[in-house]
Formats: sequence, C-alpha cells, structure tokens
Amino acid sequence: MTKGILLFCFDTEHTQYHKILEKCVALIRKNLKLEITVVTNFETYKNLRPLGFINYKFIEPELGNTKIGKEWNNVDRHMAYELSPYDTTLVMDIDYFCYTDNLLQFMNTKYDFLIPTQAHDLTQRNTFHQRVWSMIPMVWATIFVFKKTNKAKRIFDMIKYVKKYYHYFNEMYRIYAKNFRNDYVFAIALQQLNGFVNYNTFPFALSTLPPDCKVLKMSDKGIAWRYQDKIDWIENQDVHILNKEIANV
Amino acid sequence: MDIGELKKQSDLSYDVAIAKRNAIEKANTRQIIVYNEHIFRADPQTICLVKTLSELEDTFFILDTNHNPVEIKDPQDFLSKLIQRNQESLSSYHQMYKTFERKDD
Repeated sequence: MTKGILLFCFDTEHTQYHKILEKCVALIRKNLKLEITVVTNFETYKNLRPLGFINYKFIEPELGNTKIGKEWNNVDRHMAYELSPYDTTLVMDIDYFCYTDNLLQFMNTKYDFLIPTQAHDLTQRNTFHQRVWSMIPMVWATIFVFKKTNKAKRIFDMIKYVKKYYHYFNEMYRIYAKNFRNDYVFAIALQQLNGFVNYNTFPFALSTLPPDCKVLKMSDKGIAWRYQDKIDWIENQDVHILNKEIANV
Repeated sequence: MDIGELKKQSDLSYDVAIAKRNAIEKANTRQIIVYNEHIFRADPQTICLVKTLSELEDTFFILDTNHNPVEIKDPQDFLSKLIQRNQESLSSYHQMYKTFERKDD
C-alpha cells in the first residue's frame, strides 16, 4: 500500500505560489515524512528552487476562475484521483502548513474518503461561520484523504459532475460566492452521493488564519501574525493561512 | 483609579482568552487518535467508557467519531493509548497555561 501527499501549485500574475509550496514542502518533510507529488505547470516549475526528491506531474491549469478579481487556478482538484500515484493520498492546499504529525494517522483508517467540515478562526472572530452563506453545510477541501477504491472513484465522478454543472448547483444551493470554490463542489458532491445524509468526516476543526491577518514571522516551529494592533502566535499547531502574502515572509 | 491601567488589564485579558482558546483547540485536535483503523477522541468520556467496559468484558464494541461500531479486542492497549494521547495534549496545554498565569501577575 503506497501512501503520499498530492499538492497543486500554479503561479499566477499576482501570487508566487511556488514560494508558498517551498515552505509547505519543508514542513511536510519535517513532520509527515511522506512521499510528495506536485501537480504544476512548467512555468511554475521553472521558478522552484531544488526541493529534493519530489514527483512532478505537469498539467495546464484550467483558467477562468477568480478570487477578489484576481486569477485563481483552483479548478483542477477534481483530477486528484487520476493524478495521484498512491493507494492512499492526502491532498493538501499548499497554504496549509503541517507543524505536527497529526495528519499522518489518517493515512491508516478504513475510510475511503475523509474531509473536514469545521474551521477554527485563530483570531476568535468566527469568520468561518459559513452556514449563512449557502443552504449546504460546507466542507473544507483544504485537506482530504482518499483511497483508490470504487467508492472514492464514485465520489470523484460526482465531483466532476458537480463541476460541470456548477452554475446550476451554485444557484440551487443559493451559494453567495459566485466563483468556483472546491469547498462547495466537494460539499455538494458528498451530499448528493450520500443520499443527502451525513458522510464520514475528520472530527477536528482546521485552525485557520483569516486573510486580513499579516504573517510577520514563519519558523519551523510556528507562526506569528498581526491583526489590527495585536500580535499573536502559535507553535506546534497545523495552520491554514489565507493571506497569500505568506509567499514573501 | 487609573483608567489606562484598567484598559491594559482588559487588553491582556482579551489576549489571554484568545491564546487560551487556540491552545484548547490545539489540545482537542491532538486528542484525535486512530486505533484499529477507526477514529476516536482521547477525551474523558471515551476514557471512562473504555475503562468501565474493560472492567466488565474482555472485548466490547464502541462507536468511533463517525458513529461506526468498532470491536475493541485489547482494551488495556486501547486504554493505555487513549490516556497517553490525552495526557500528552493536556501537558502541552498546561505549559502554555503557565505562560498565561505569568502574564496575569
């Protein structure tokens, strides 16, 4: 049984995502010690400094999606099943930084597919209370684990279907955000495929730093950030950082 | 009454409350444990349940975090792992908590 991590990384005009990838890979190496496969394009690959042994899969990202008016190449996540070379795969956003080995144990469960449904706002403002922004309980496609099984394949087939008709599903579930978000695509696919009842999830909330927090320092133990006039920090705690300026820290 | 000192105390209390909430979240996340390919919380409820059942039966069934039944065939091994993970997470929280106490002096 092979196990590994699948990451997607595409530089854009506004954000040097490859710099975020470099930080993410360093922490995976330190704390998870799993094999890594990066899905990228040649333009991004050229900017990467040598990262040691990593598998690369080159694709051209599907363009057209935006976030706050800027290019956002996040549409290819539905191909994770086909692109992963592993029997058990942990798919992670590159802005999710593993300061612990907490995720490692989830590579050894009986579940075909696991995804988190909760986020913990590190600034305590309850920023991620998403229920008011749609009629469907959201999931966080920031991290998820899947096995190459028939059930997981059907989940990804459903994800592809939802992606194809996303405009319709977006309207049907009255989702406030009109751009393409994997969080909603996965939530819709899982709800539809599971007969509109519960599905298996991670039982923890993703510690998340909202986009209006500026990361001041990032070390191999933790991060410090500023929000308004306050500086705070965490250590030895996995964190999802939404401010893409992290590329320049 | 020095209003400046009172504001400082208020700010400090707020900062400590945020740090404490984040530390608790960190501990809660660390208490998640995979055993026999199922996911559990190493929390007081699970520990007490496993301890109680292990005193009555050699093997028993409990529910994982996704409400699926799991047969526990080696209760002592499971209990030991639950307690170890619970105490590891709380020890880390305790270290953080001591820094809150120092700030509040």
